[in-house]
Amino acid sequence: MGVGNTGDNVSNLIDDTRDRLSSLSGQELFALLLLLGIAILLIDLVRRLTMGELALGRLWRYTWNGLVDSLYIALAAIGLSMTYSILRFANFSHGDLVTTGAFSGWAVAWVIGGWGMYGIGELVLFSPTPAGPTGGELGMDVLASPVAILVGLVAAALLTIGVALAIDRLVYKRMRDTGGIPLLIASVGVALALRYIIGVFWTVESHSATASAPIIEDFPDWMWWVPFDRVNLHELTLVLIAVGLIIGLHLLLQYTKLGKAMRAMADNKDLALITGIPTERVIFATWTIGAGLAGVAGYLIVLDRGQFSINIGWFLLLLIFAAVILGGIGSIYGALVGSLVIGLTINVSLVWIPADMNEIAAFTLMILILIIKPDGLLGGVETA
Amino acid sequence: MALLDVDGLDAGYGDLQIVENVDLAVDAGEYVTIVGPNGAGKSTVMKSIFGLTTHMGGSITFSDEEISGYRPEDIITTGIGYVPQNGNIFPSMSVMENLEMGAYILDEVPQDRLDRIFNRFPILDERRGQTAGDLSGGQQQMLAMGRALMLDPDLLLLDEPSAGLAPDLVDDMFDRIDQINEAGTSILLVEQNAKEALRRCSRGYVLVQGQNRYVDEGDALLADEQVRQDFLGG
Repeated sequence: MGVGNTGDNVSNLIDDTRDRLSSLSGQELFALLLLLGIAILLIDLVRRLTMGELALGRLWRYTWNGLVDSLYIALAAIGLSMTYSILRFANFSHGDLVTTGAFSGWAVAWVIGGWGMYGIGELVLFSPTPAGPTGGELGMDVLASPVAILVGLVAAALLTIGVALAIDRLVYKRMRDTGGIPLLIASVGVALALRYIIGVFWTVESHSATASAPIIEDFPDWMWWVPFDRVNLHELTLVLIAVGLIIGLHLLLQYTKLGKAMRAMADNKDLALITGIPTERVIFATWTIGAGLAGVAGYLIVLDRGQFSINIGWFLLLLIFAAVILGGIGSIYGALVGSLVIGLTINVSLVWIPADMNEIAAFTLMILILIIKPDGLLGGVETA
Repeated sequence: MALLDVDGLDAGYGDLQIVENVDLAVDAGEYVTIVGPNGAGKSTVMKSIFGLTTHMGGSITFSDEEISGYRPEDIITTGIGYVPQNGNIFPSMSVMENLEMGAYILDEVPQDRLDRIFNRFPILDERRGQTAGDLSGGQQQMLAMGRALMLDPDLLLLDEPSAGLAPDLVDDMFDRIDQINEAGTSILLVEQNAKEALRRCSRGYVLVQGQNRYVDEGDALLADEQVRQDFLGG
C-alpha cells in the first residue's frame, strides 16, 4: 500500500467524520458532549491518582459508599416503579413508607433487645426521657443482638406492608379508576398524614437507634483482594440483605407465575384482564413487595446511619424519584440502574465538589441524561 | 342449537349505545364474518360477546349458557378466545412468556397445545426467547392468535387480524385462519377487508349503524348487487 493511498484514506476519513458530525442531531451532539465531559473527569481522576492528590483508598471508599447508597435507594425505588407501572400513578407517599419501616422495625428491635430490662413504652418510643436506654446500652449492633435486629428487619417489612395495604384499601382502591393525577395528589396527602401520625408518637426529634457499628480490621489471608483496610459490619449487612432481596425479586419476576403476571399487567393491563390474570391479586402483590422493600430500605438506612427522624423517607424521596425517572419510570431494572448511577454520582463526585453539594451533581447528571434520553436509560422497556 | 347465539343485543360504552337489536349466530365449526363500514359497531358486537362493553339488553348464549353479564375472566373459561385488534401482545415479555400468559388460568402450561401452536406457527418456535415487541406486525398477530389458542377455545373471536399487515401477508393470515377453522375451532371474524373475508367464510353478517343489514352465505353476499354497491365498492 503506497503513501499516497494512505493520504487518500486519511482525507476520506476526515470527510467522512465531517459528514457524520454535520448530520448529528442536537441530542446526539449533547450526548457526545456529555461523554466528553465524563471522559475528561475520568482522565482527571487518573491524574489525581497518579499525582497522589487522591489516595486510591479514598476512591474505593467513595465507590463503596456509592454502592451502599444506591442499594437502599434501589430497594425503595423498585417499589415506587412497580406501583407506577401497575397502578399507573406516582406515589408520593412511598418515602413515608420508608419512614414507617424505619420506625416500626426499630421499635420492634428495641422491644426485643431490651425485653425485661426496660418498660415497653420506653423501648417502643426510643427512650423519650433521658432515663431510658440508648441504642448503645441495648447493644443494638449486628454482633451483640443479631436476633433483635433480624426480627426488627422482618417486622419492618411486615408492618410497612400492613400500613400500605390499609392505605390502599382506605384511599387508593376507591380511586382506582380516577386516573393518575387525582391519585398523585391523594398520595401527597397520604404522605403528610402518615409522617405526622408517626410524629405524634415519636415526636419530630431525631432518634439514635443503634450502637456504633462493629468494625472488622484484621482480615484473614484469603481476603487479600478486599480493597479496604476496615469493613463496617452494618454496611456489609445492608449490602448483603439488599443484594439478596434484589436477586430474589429478579427470580420472582422472571421465573414465577406471579412475577410473570405482574410483568404482564405492567405491560398491558387490558390484555392481562382478558387473559384471566386476577388483577386485584396482582395489585395486592405489588403493594406487598413494594412496601416490604420500602420498609426494609428504611430499616437498613437506620442500621447504616444510626440516627433518624420522621423526615428520613421524605428527604430520600427526591433521590428515589431521580433514580426511577433516570432509569425509565415503570421499569424495575431501570430503577436499579438509575439507583446505581445516582448513588455512585453523589459519592464519587466528592472527589471534585464539597459534600454539601454532592446531590447537585446527581440531579445535574439526571437532567443531562434525560435531555438525551427523555424516556430514561431503560425507558419504554417497562417492567421486564 | 347454535354454539353462539346472540339475540337482540343492545350494547355500548357507559351511556352511549352503539349496537341495537343485533342477532348473530355461530354454529359449531362454522366460520362467520361480520363486515360493514367504519363505525358500524362490528368490534363492539365482538367485545360485547367477550364482556367488555356495557350490556344494555338482549341475550348472549354460548353452549346453552347465558353469558351476558359475565366478566372476561369468566368468559375465557367457557371456551371463547378473543384476539383484540390492538394491544394484543405483552410487548416486553418473550414469545414463550406471552404464550404462557395465554394459559394463565390453567395450573400448568399444556405442552401438547404449545407444540400444536409451534407447529402451526413455526416462526414463534424459532423466536420463542425473543421479546415480543421486537417481532414484525405479522408475527405479533400470529403470537396473539397463538396466545388465544392456548386455552383451546371452541370459538375464536378475531378482531381485524389483517389490519396493518403488508398486502402480501394478508393472504397468509387468511390461510392460517382457514387452517385453524379446519382444525375444528369455530371462528367469528370482524374484518375491514370485506371481500376477502366474505370469500373465505361460510356465512357473513353486514352490519350498518349498529344494526343487522344483511345475513347470508359469504359467496351470496359477494354476489349480491346491493351489497356490492353499498359496501364493497362495486
